Amino acid sequence: MNDPTVFVVDDDAGIRDALSLLISLKGLRSAVFATAEDFLNTYCAEWRGCLLTDLQMPGMHGLQLQRALAERDIRLPVVVLTAHGDVATTREALKNGALDFLEKPVDDEILVDVLRNAIHIDEQRHQAASAHVQALERFARLTPREQAVLQLLADGLQHRDIAERLNISPRTVEVYKSRMMEKLQLRTLADVVRFGAGIPHGTN
Amino acid sequence: MRSWLSLRDPRFGLPIVFVYLPVYVLIDKLTYVQPVLKLDIDPWNPQTALTLAFLLAVGPRGLPVTALAAFTAEGLVHGMQAPWWVLLMACLWIACGYTALALLMRRWGLHHPIESCAQAMRLTGAVMVASFIVVVGYVSLVTFGGALPRPLVSGALARYWVGDVIAILTLVPLWMYADRWRSGLRELRRGLPVAAVQLGVVALTLWLIFGLNQTDQVRFFYLLFVPVIWITLRWGVPGAILSALAIQIGVIVAVQYDVHAPLLVDLQFLLLTLTLTALLLGAVVTERAAALQRVATSEAEQRALLATAPDAVLTVSARGWICSANPQAQRLFGLDPRLEHERSLHELLPGLDLLCAYGRTTLEGRRIEGSSFPAEIAWARLEAPATADFLVIVRDVTERRRAEIQLRERERALSDAMRFAVAGELASALAHELKQPITALVSYLQAAGILAAPLAAQDARLALTLGKATHEAHRAAEVLRRLRDFYRNGAIKREAVQLAALCRSIVSAFHERLHSNAITLAVNLPPALPTLQGDVTQLEIVLHNLLSNAIDAVSQQPVDCRRIQLSADSSATAVTFQVRDAGPGIAPDVAEKLFEPFVTTKPDGMGLGLAISRSLLRAQGGDLVYEPGGAQGGGCFIVHLPLNPEAQQRQATRIMSFGAVT
Repeated sequence: MNDPTVFVVDDDAGIRDALSLLISLKGLRSAVFATAEDFLNTYCAEWRGCLLTDLQMPGMHGLQLQRALAERDIRLPVVVLTAHGDVATTREALKNGALDFLEKPVDDEILVDVLRNAIHIDEQRHQAASAHVQALERFARLTPREQAVLQLLADGLQHRDIAERLNISPRTVEVYKSRMMEKLQLRTLADVVRFGAGIPHGTN
Repeated sequence: MRSWLSLRDPRFGLPIVFVYLPVYVLIDKLTYVQPVLKLDIDPWNPQTALTLAFLLAVGPRGLPVTALAAFTAEGLVHGMQAPWWVLLMACLWIACGYTALALLMRRWGLHHPIESCAQAMRLTGAVMVASFIVVVGYVSLVTFGGALPRPLVSGALARYWVGDVIAILTLVPLWMYADRWRSGLRELRRGLPVAAVQLGVVALTLWLIFGLNQTDQVRFFYLLFVPVIWITLRWGVPGAILSALAIQIGVIVAVQYDVHAPLLVDLQFLLLTLTLTALLLGAVVTERAAALQRVATSEAEQRALLATAPDAVLTVSARGWICSANPQAQRLFGLDPRLEHERSLHELLPGLDLLCAYGRTTLEGRRIEGSSFPAEIAWARLEAPATADFLVIVRDVTERRRAEIQLRERERALSDAMRFAVAGELASALAHELKQPITALVSYLQAAGILAAPLAAQDARLALTLGKATHEAHRAAEVLRRLRDFYRNGAIKREAVQLAALCRSIVSAFHERLHSNAITLAVNLPPALPTLQGDVTQLEIVLHNLLSNAIDAVSQQPVDCRRIQLSADSSATAVTFQVRDAGPGIAPDVAEKLFEPFVTTKPDGMGLGLAISRSLLRAQGGDLVYEPGGAQGGGCFIVHLPLNPEAQQRQATRIMSFGAVT
C-alpha cells in the first residue's frame, strides 16, 4: 500500500463499489471503508495517496473524521464528497483542512483530476518531508563546532562575532565553515542560510 | 334579640303557669260586668283570650291548668252558683274546647301575625265556631245543673259568645304582635302626631255617643267606624286591634258609669261588627303593603339587572316602537335617553321581524350615527305586557368576530408553516436518500463508458448512449437539489418573540384537548422570561409538536398519570424549555433514531414532527434533545435556544454542518 492509493470512506455500499471501480479504471489504486472508524483503525503511517470521504455517515461523520486525522497528525490530503453541498458545511470542511469539496453525483473527469492533484500534493509533501530528514541526517554528521558555526551563520552573524561567541579565532571559524560547506556540498552563503533555516535551533 | 314579652316561646311555658292562674282570676274579677245570674256569663271575657294565648304558648299540656283556673274563678269570683261537679265539668269543657281551638290555630298557622285576608277570615271563622261550641256546651251543662232557668238560656248564650269572641279577636292578635313591639313603637314614634289625632277623634266620638246623655246611644254607634277605618288604613292590623281595644275599654267604662247606657251585650254585637271590619280591612292593608313592597323590590332588582347586564336590552311595543333601553343599549346604538321613545326597532335592527314569541338571530345592527356592527339578537314576548310587548337583547359581537378571524388566520399561518416544514423535511430526506443511488449510478455509467471505450470502433452509439444516461442521472440529481434548496432557503424571520406570551398562547390552544382527556398540564415559567430574536411561527410549531406528542403519550395512561409539565429556564445567553410527560416513555432502540424522518411510535404518525422540530431549532441556532424519564418513567424533550443572534448564527453554521447526520 505504499503506492499512491485513494482511500474511499462512504457508508453506502453502492457508492463504494462504483467509485472504486471508476477510480481503478482511471488507473489509480483504491481501498474502501464503510465507516470512518474502520479507516482510522486500519491506518498505517506508510500509506500514501489521498482520502475521499462522505460527510453524512452513521457514527463518526466526515467533519469528525477530519478532526480525528488532525489529532493523530495524519497528513493524508482529504477530498470531501457529499450529497448536501451547502455553504456552511463546505466552509467548515475547508476550514478543517479539506483539499477539495465535491458534490454528489460527481463527474469522473473532475473526480480523477481532484484525486490526482491530491496524490501529487501528498507526494510533494512526502518528498519535502524526506528532504528535511536527509538534511537533518547530514547535519548530524557534522562535528559540534561545525554545527555551531552553521547555525550562527544562518542567524546572520559575522565571522568576528562567531569567533568571539565560540572563543576561537576568526581564522578557525573560516576553517570550520569551509569544512562544513564541503561536507554539506553547499556552495554559497545563501545555501548555508537556507539549510540552517531548516534545522531547528538547539539541534546538536 | 328576644324581648321579655316573647310569651310564645315554649321555654316560658312552666313559669307562666304560675302567672297565668292568678292573672286569670284577677281579670275575671275585674271584668265581671252585667253577668247572667252571677254565673260566669258576661259580655266581656278577656280571661278567655288569656286562656287561648296561654294554650297557644304552652300547648295541650296547659289544659289542666286552664280547667283549674276556670274552676277557681267559679269559686272565688262567682261563688259556686251550681253544684261543684257541674261546674267542674263545665270548666273541663271550656278547657277542652279552647285547647282544641289552640291546636287548630297552630295547625293552620293562625298564631302568627296576620299577613293576609285569607288568614284573617280563617281566624275569625275558627274563633267564632269554636267559641259557639264551647259556649253551647257550658250553658247546657249549667242549665242541666239547674243554675240557669230555661227562659234565660238564649240570652246567656248570646252574651257569653259575644263576650268570648270579641275578647279573643282583640286580645289574641295583640298577643301575636307582642314580639314586634319594638318596631311598632319605632313606627308609632314616626307617626306620633297622626296617632294622637286619631286617638283624640276616637275619644271625641266615644264622648259624642255616650257623654251627651242621649237615650239611644246604639243609634250613633256607627260614627265609630270612621276613625277605626282611618286608623286601620294608616296602621294596618295592629292599628285595627288597638283601636278596637281602646273602644272596647271606653265602652266598658261608659257602661259602668253611665246609668242610661243600653245593655252591654247590644253594644258588644255592634263592637264585634266594628272589630271584624277593622281586622279584615287591616289584613287587606297589610297584604297590599306587602304586595307593594314586593313589586318595589322586584322593580329595583329588575332595574339593577338591566343596568348591570353586559348586553343591550330594549323593550319594544308590538308595533315596533322602542319603549325602554338600558344604559348599554343607549351606548351601543348611541340613543338619546330622552328621545328613545321616538325610535322604532326597525331603525336599529333593520330586517328583524318579531313574528314568533321568542327567537334568536344574527344580523347587522345600525347605530343612530349610521355605522353598523354585527349583532347577536335574542327576543321574547313579555307574558304580561304593560306598555312593551317584546324584550329584545342585543349583543355586539364585533370583538368576538375579530378575535375569531385573528385566531383563524393564526391557525392558518401555523398550519401553512407546518406544511412547509413537512415538505422541506420530506424534500431533504428524499434528496439525501436518492442522491446516494444516483451517485452510484453515475459512477457505474462512467465506469461503463471507460470499459466500453475499446468497443467504440464497432458501434459509436454505445459511448453516446452511456453519455446520455449519465446526463439524465445528473439531471435527476439536479432536480433533487433544486427541490431541497427551495425549502431550505426559506429565510428565517428574526423578530422579537415574547416567550411567556408564546407559551401562554400555545397552552391555551390545547385547553380543550387537555380538558377532554382529563390531563393536568403544569406550566412552570420563571417570572421574567427574556425576549428572543427568532421566528415565532417556527418556535410555535416546535412547542406545539412537543405538547401534542406529550398529550398523545399520556392520554392512554391511568388518569392519575396524565400529567405534563412545561417548564422554562433562562440564563444570560440561552433559554431552555422542557416538556416532561408521565407517559410510557420511549424504548431505547427507538430513542436512538428518534429524530430521523419517518421514525414514529404512533399508529397514524408520519414520523416527521420531531425531525422537523429539530431542523427548525437548529436552523435558529438551537437544538432539541430527548432525555428518558428514568425510574419514574415518562420522558422529557428539551429545547435549547441561544438568545444572542450573533452566537446563534455561528452555532447555526456549526450545527447545520453536522446536521441531518443520523
